[in-house]
Amino acid sequence: MLALGAVGLAGALTTAAFVAPNKAAAAVRPYTPASASDVVATVPRRDPQEVAARQLLAKSPDRVELAVALARADIGRARSLSDPRYLGRAQATLGRWWAMAEPPPDVLLLRATIEQSLHDFHAARIDLDHLISIRPGDAQAQLTRAVVATVTADYPAARASCDAVASLAPALVAEACKAPLDALGGRAADAFNDLSRAIDSWRGDPSLALWATTTLAEIAIQRGDEPRARMLLERVLAADPNDAYTRAALADVLMQLHDPAASATLCAGYEQIDNLLVRRAIAEHAARGPEADKLAQMMHDRIAAAAERGDRVHMREEAMFVLAVDGDAQRALDLAKANWDVQKELADARLLAEAATAAGDRAAAAPVVEWAATNGVIDARLERFLGGLR
Amino acid sequence: MKSLLVLIAMMGMTATAWAHKPSDAHVALSADGAHVTGRLDVAVRDLNGALQIDDGDGRITWGELQAASPRIADYVHSRLSIEGCPMAFGTAQLVTLSDGAYWSLPISATCTRAPHELLITYALLFDLDAQHRGLIHVAGQTVIVRDASPVRVELGARTNVASFVRLGIWHIFSGIDHILFLLCLVLPAVFQTKRARWQAATSMRDVAVEVLETVTAFTLAHSITLVISAIGLISLPSRFIETAIALSVVAAALNNLFRTVDARWAVAFSLGLLHGFGFSSVLIDLGLPSRELIGALLGFNVGVELGQAAIVLIAIPLLYAIRRTFAYQALLWGGSGVVALIAAIWSYQRCFI
Repeated sequence: MLALGAVGLAGALTTAAFVAPNKAAAAVRPYTPASASDVVATVPRRDPQEVAARQLLAKSPDRVELAVALARADIGRARSLSDPRYLGRAQATLGRWWAMAEPPPDVLLLRATIEQSLHDFHAARIDLDHLISIRPGDAQAQLTRAVVATVTADYPAARASCDAVASLAPALVAEACKAPLDALGGRAADAFNDLSRAIDSWRGDPSLALWATTTLAEIAIQRGDEPRARMLLERVLAADPNDAYTRAALADVLMQLHDPAASATLCAGYEQIDNLLVRRAIAEHAARGPEADKLAQMMHDRIAAAAERGDRVHMREEAMFVLAVDGDAQRALDLAKANWDVQKELADARLLAEAATAAGDRAAAAPVVEWAATNGVIDARLERFLGGLR
Repeated sequence: MKSLLVLIAMMGMTATAWAHKPSDAHVALSADGAHVTGRLDVAVRDLNGALQIDDGDGRITWGELQAASPRIADYVHSRLSIEGCPMAFGTAQLVTLSDGAYWSLPISATCTRAPHELLITYALLFDLDAQHRGLIHVAGQTVIVRDASPVRVELGARTNVASFVRLGIWHIFSGIDHILFLLCLVLPAVFQTKRARWQAATSMRDVAVEVLETVTAFTLAHSITLVISAIGLISLPSRFIETAIALSVVAAALNNLFRTVDARWAVAFSLGLLHGFGFSSVLIDLGLPSRELIGALLGFNVGVELGQAAIVLIAIPLLYAIRRTFAYQALLWGGSGVVALIAAIWSYQRCFI
């Protein structure tokens, strides 16, 4: 009896050695740092120019050009740092004009950009359409409209905007705008070659070539050429390791290439970024890595935190996680369906088809089947799932 | 789709990936009569945005924060209020949430009379970050505050505890492994060892004492680990816990077959420790603020005990009635064997699949 009791206690105590602090929001206990010199948070250094501009704006709050410049800088930070807090800051800076039906055109563009980033595609589209009606020669507006229209599967509108971009922006930008639409409509080989040539002959700003290369890699994935996609994405990442979008795309490609360990390594150290945390959690789970449980818990916490503040921005990521790690096909399917109502990129279509396959629910994939048929979509991965469902 | 901002010059890149989480602050409150207590957790980096706490090197120290403490208190005072309940603040500490350090400010307010509802105005940070949210946790509800207009929150703490009682009962009945564990432990109670030989119990009283010992030991054990785990002192991987619970069922069933340990209360206690971790996962998944945890724990545990008591009260008289029959022998040996087998399969599945 004592032996058994001892075994039970020993078991409980050994497991206590694995203690990982529970991060469930408000259940965490406050503490007092040991020393006044303890660094408790690191923040971006203050930019004296920005401080000066903010002071100026505070003095003359009507100067829209000051607010626009500050908001634009914050949107840039939100992207380069993958930190959505800056979106809220940009929105607040534009606060005086934010709720206007007819704000100045520059505000309209930034408002649409912020709305797009918060996945409010409907509002973004209205603002962009409005802006283009006032300022049809706004290349950025046309380009952003092409993105929003593509995400919401309004391909004629996307094509119209890309056509407009062709006469407003450099050839590479126009090609990178058009290529995904061509590829989606069943002409991936041509799209790949056209965009590839445009990148090779580009002599301008290298960051544009990097952006186009990520798009090129996505077309390679669509063609089922993951090794090529891997090479392209690795090239982009080597030039810009902070490009979280490209890192996530490469992580997905590595999973397709059956190398979860490499995918996990790629995302390690980027856990603060939801898109990379979810991929690391999935990869570690698949590779049976030592940190799989810890990462899954982190992801659960992240999902709970987002739900707590009423956000539904990351349904795609949540569905991916629930499908791959929790193994709850039905819940993943529900999420993938809700996500499909908001955004309709190839990744969303693949996810819905995959979740429907896992749940054995043929009918649930019908919207994707119809979407693919209507738009002539040919995608190597999608075909694998839909083939199984037909 | 990767979008491009052609016209927006890309900013200088830094090596650090900042937290990819929008800004939230938490206000957890609970009311006891006319007293409202609780705490505000607001991100240090958000406070820095509002009050410029950093001296310019990009590193906020505890010393800098403490020096700014009066300014922070003034800021919160001017932007957070409960109508009719003047607020005072205690000594702030820090909490580490998933995206970094938060300034944790104890709140205490005394209302002019005991409130049935709180009218809370939360107006921190919205002017700096339009996506900031104030999450007010009161009486088991979370209210999401999106702007500076006041929100009304009902105080319904009593129904709250009751709902946790129900959750506890439901958890016992829905978790077949807890039921099987308990049944395995009480199954031999009607058939006791006397002078190294097994024989049918002669009195219901002996049986009741034995069952009471076992159930109490189980309750004590899982209550201990439930509390330890729910307040966050120890957190274990769920795969480990689930596997261990399944193994404990195997152990309890095998003990009936081989009678290694006659003092089943000891088995109940030692292995019951594991079950507490399993119970707590239900509460942890709810992510309750600490203010509500005590009531929730209490209610949940009461629910678990009620569920347990119901099972035992039904099972024991039945077993007592059939204790001299072949059916009982079949149940004891066959049932325990089957349970051991099933639970062994669970253990394998939970650990490896």
